[in-house]
Amino acid sequence: MRSSRAAWGAGVAVLALGLSACGGEADGSGSGGEPIAEAGAGELSGTVTFWHAYSADSPEVRTLEDSIIPAFEEEHPDVTVESVPVPYDDLHQKLVTAVAGDALPDLVRSDIIWVPELADLGVLVPLDEEMPDFQEYADQMYEGPLETNLWQGSYYGLPLDTNTRVLMYNQEALDAAGVDGPPETFADMREMASAFADDGRYLFADNGTSGWNVLPWIWSAGGDITDADVTTATGHLDSPESVAGVELLVDLYEQGAIPDLMLGAEGGTQTSDGLPAGEYATILDGPWMFPIFESQYPDFDLMTAPVPAGDGGSVSVVGGESIVLTQASENKAAAAEFLRFLLSEDVQLELAAVGQMPVLSSLAEQLPEVQPYYAPFVEQVENARPRPPTPAWPRVEEVLSREVQLALRGEKTAEQALGDAATEIDGLLAQYAG
Amino acid sequence: MTTTTTPSRPPTVAPGRAVGRRRTRGAPGSAARRRAAVAGYAFALPGFAVYALIMLYPAVQALLISLRDYAITPGAPSPWVGLENYARALEDPVLLRSFVNAGFYMVATVPAQVVIGLLLAVLLDAKLPGRTLFRVLFYLPVVTSWVVVSLLFQYLFATDRGVVNWLLVDVTGLFDGDVAWLGERWPALVAISVLGIWKGVGWSMIIFLAALTGVPRELHEAAALDGAGAMRRFRYVSLPFIRGTLSTVLILLVIGSFNVFISVLLMTGGGPLDQTQVPLTYMYRQAFTFLDFGYGSAISFLLTLVVLALAALQYGITRRKASEVDG
Amino acid sequence: MITGSTRRRWTVTAARYGALVLAAAVLALPFVYMVSTSLKPRTLLLEYPPTLVPADPTLANYATAWGANNFGRYFLNSASVALATTVCTVLLASMMAYSFARFRYPGRGVLFATVVLGLTIPTMLLIIPQFLLAKDLGLIDSLPGLVPFYVGTQLAFTTFLLRAFFERIPRELDEAMLIDGAGAWRRYWNLALPLSKPALATTGIFVFLGSWDEFVWALTVINDVSNRTLPIGIALFRGQHGTSWGLVFAASVIAVLPVVVVYVLFQRHIVSGLTSGALKG
Repeated sequence: MRSSRAAWGAGVAVLALGLSACGGEADGSGSGGEPIAEAGAGELSGTVTFWHAYSADSPEVRTLEDSIIPAFEEEHPDVTVESVPVPYDDLHQKLVTAVAGDALPDLVRSDIIWVPELADLGVLVPLDEEMPDFQEYADQMYEGPLETNLWQGSYYGLPLDTNTRVLMYNQEALDAAGVDGPPETFADMREMASAFADDGRYLFADNGTSGWNVLPWIWSAGGDITDADVTTATGHLDSPESVAGVELLVDLYEQGAIPDLMLGAEGGTQTSDGLPAGEYATILDGPWMFPIFESQYPDFDLMTAPVPAGDGGSVSVVGGESIVLTQASENKAAAAEFLRFLLSEDVQLELAAVGQMPVLSSLAEQLPEVQPYYAPFVEQVENARPRPPTPAWPRVEEVLSREVQLALRGEKTAEQALGDAATEIDGLLAQYAG
Repeated sequence: MTTTTTPSRPPTVAPGRAVGRRRTRGAPGSAARRRAAVAGYAFALPGFAVYALIMLYPAVQALLISLRDYAITPGAPSPWVGLENYARALEDPVLLRSFVNAGFYMVATVPAQVVIGLLLAVLLDAKLPGRTLFRVLFYLPVVTSWVVVSLLFQYLFATDRGVVNWLLVDVTGLFDGDVAWLGERWPALVAISVLGIWKGVGWSMIIFLAALTGVPRELHEAAALDGAGAMRRFRYVSLPFIRGTLSTVLILLVIGSFNVFISVLLMTGGGPLDQTQVPLTYMYRQAFTFLDFGYGSAISFLLTLVVLALAALQYGITRRKASEVDG
Repeated sequence: MITGSTRRRWTVTAARYGALVLAAAVLALPFVYMVSTSLKPRTLLLEYPPTLVPADPTLANYATAWGANNFGRYFLNSASVALATTVCTVLLASMMAYSFARFRYPGRGVLFATVVLGLTIPTMLLIIPQFLLAKDLGLIDSLPGLVPFYVGTQLAFTTFLLRAFFERIPRELDEAMLIDGAGAWRRYWNLALPLSKPALATTGIFVFLGSWDEFVWALTVINDVSNRTLPIGIALFRGQHGTSWGLVFAASVIAVLPVVVVYVLFQRHIVSGLTSGALKG
């Protein structure tokens, strides 16, 4: 190995030419191991590393790094919070590798759908067991986002920000089709569909058949994917209610009221272009679309309505992020304190101002003042459900997405497709039972 | 191995001067051969050691992972399953399709990259005003990030208002209606292949340019005086000189084509319904989405086997051809 | 006779330029589009259909990209790592290739076959074992720590390519130097390397590009913001729900410049005539 060391030496020598000083390790923490203290208790010190996916060009990351972290460090002068932004598309891969290498940071802002998976890998701290004041925080949260953190009876995180999908519509496109207002029910959708058949415009568009796309329809129809304990899909995903939800989509697609975009293929007009252009009259999407439309289609008058209601009411799907504390953290007390700080009303409101919808239900009434566009989401999030929290979710979703596509393509009836999906998903869930 | 850094030092080699002196004195045979062997090892070892540490050692680990039901958490049980992951792979219809897709991509992109790259290299292998400018322009696709060009090609091949459909339907009238390029298996593979060719010709061009520098100018001039046209001069003067490089480039391109990844991931994501999966997109999903690293590793080693077989086949063919020409 | 030949030469030159211009148009157009988008005001969606000439060109994206979170630092980090990697890789690979091409010793075939094997292993698969290795070596979150990994993963390709070039150098030249008393190192340094300038330049170009563009490994092992490389800086402009394409493209254009500079500098060595007569098939 001497020779590779020589090569390594050569590498360092060359590097020395181009590098002034490579930032050394600044980690002075060493207080690991002790139980997590009550909020505000005791003297805290050391470094808290926080991985998140706030994008570099976003006001969120500026608020975090220039306002929130300095404020926290002022309260706790001996604690340093290191913010590590990671591109969203790559955060999961980085987390997985860090799990394998036992190199996770103290805190992670995780997409809600990864929390059960990380919990199952045994790398997260069950907050309800180890954080004495957990219940105090849990009580303030919206039910839907909170439930995304539940895995095998324990809560492995707390929601940090939330969102959901509402119906967004283009009134001009509805007018052009001779329709007064947005569809409020499944029956409205079916009735309006004929006005959009085969003229290059569509009543509704979505870009795929993942859980995020089809669950609002299944739930609103009164159906479900699994039982409450997420152990079996049979009897739920293949129920007549679930089938009715998917049948609505299949029938609209066959009538030409939903475009091929829903087949999950690339190449079609994206919803973000099709809605303002009037090609698509309605879509389902989240609050981030407001700034996007404002910058890209300033003349477009974006309108919203609740998800069209079926026999199960108007039910949407919960999105957003949770904050989780890792077992690997050597500074759990300080990390938990920063977690609490992020969930305080002031910080939640500060983040709300830059597009991060708060998770504290107590802030609901103030939100429309912070950003008017939150109003419909505040309403819908009360009727929004989480995707079933299970580590098997990526595989479950693959099955669901594939079978709904087969139904849309007419290769199976909705009933057959969901029956097949339920059988396959039962097998996947069984691997994590008990 | 430790990472203590020793001062930079050119890798010392057995003092060759002595070999030479002995040799001039006429000491042949085993001593000289031994010195050649020592020098051979001395030259190969520094690089090989780095290679062994960074590539081979992890590759062996990955091979072991492929024989386990691998749990990524350190300390969690990862039971041996023997060849189960491989057996499963051989029966996986999506994996089989992904190999066929990669095979299509190879057939579509490799010959085109070689022919166009060689053509551009020949055109630029001359004193020509603006030569550097052209060389830079042809190199631009190589340096532009895969992410950016994949997005761009997605737009070019969009169904409703894409440039390609506009050219084929509205301008030339070759097609009656819009093609859903990225929505079906074979059209999508064609679009991905077009991107592969576009991105790759500059790469093979550079290697061919370097190879063509070895062709003696006098031979060209002599052939020209004999009245040989450009085609004949290329065939009988240049080609024999670059045959070795040609075979090297072919092998590298075949390997590269089976490792196609980012363009597929970004242009179709392997969809719809897994129709456009290639081995690496499929492997990536098994490993990093489903956390099934045992299966993902098995897929990778099957890919390695296929590529090695192809490379060996090709090596054998070019060797035989070369010996036929020489003999 | 003379006029005929002149006319013919003109026709040939015109045809040559015609082909070159056509190829340049096709190959450079997407790059032109990238530059043009980077000059458009801040946008979160790509314009559809695309236009080549921006209505009100602005350099705002360049200013923002360069000013955003340590972009200059990332740039310097990437340059240092790519430069160190290029020097180390070309040196080690050329030595290995020279060994394979010029010396006979037991095990040579096995060593070479092992290197070729490395060409066929998808590196993405190695990420977890390599991460564990980097951890054992203490090279996590270290900028110089990227270099051995970049060298190691690019050695196989570089060696394979260089060996093909070294094999073309006539053995008689080696033997002539041997008679003059030159040792192995001198034959490598004073004969093989100078005669292989075009090949070294070519591999240098590729290795520099490969290290400059590398994303997945750097993202995985680097945490400290000040240790990041340029591709990570660019990827951070891509958001979960919307991407600032103008910024991404502006940053990509900035990122391409050093690669083009390296290419222009290196490709000057890829010219015919320097080694005329010295090489043969």
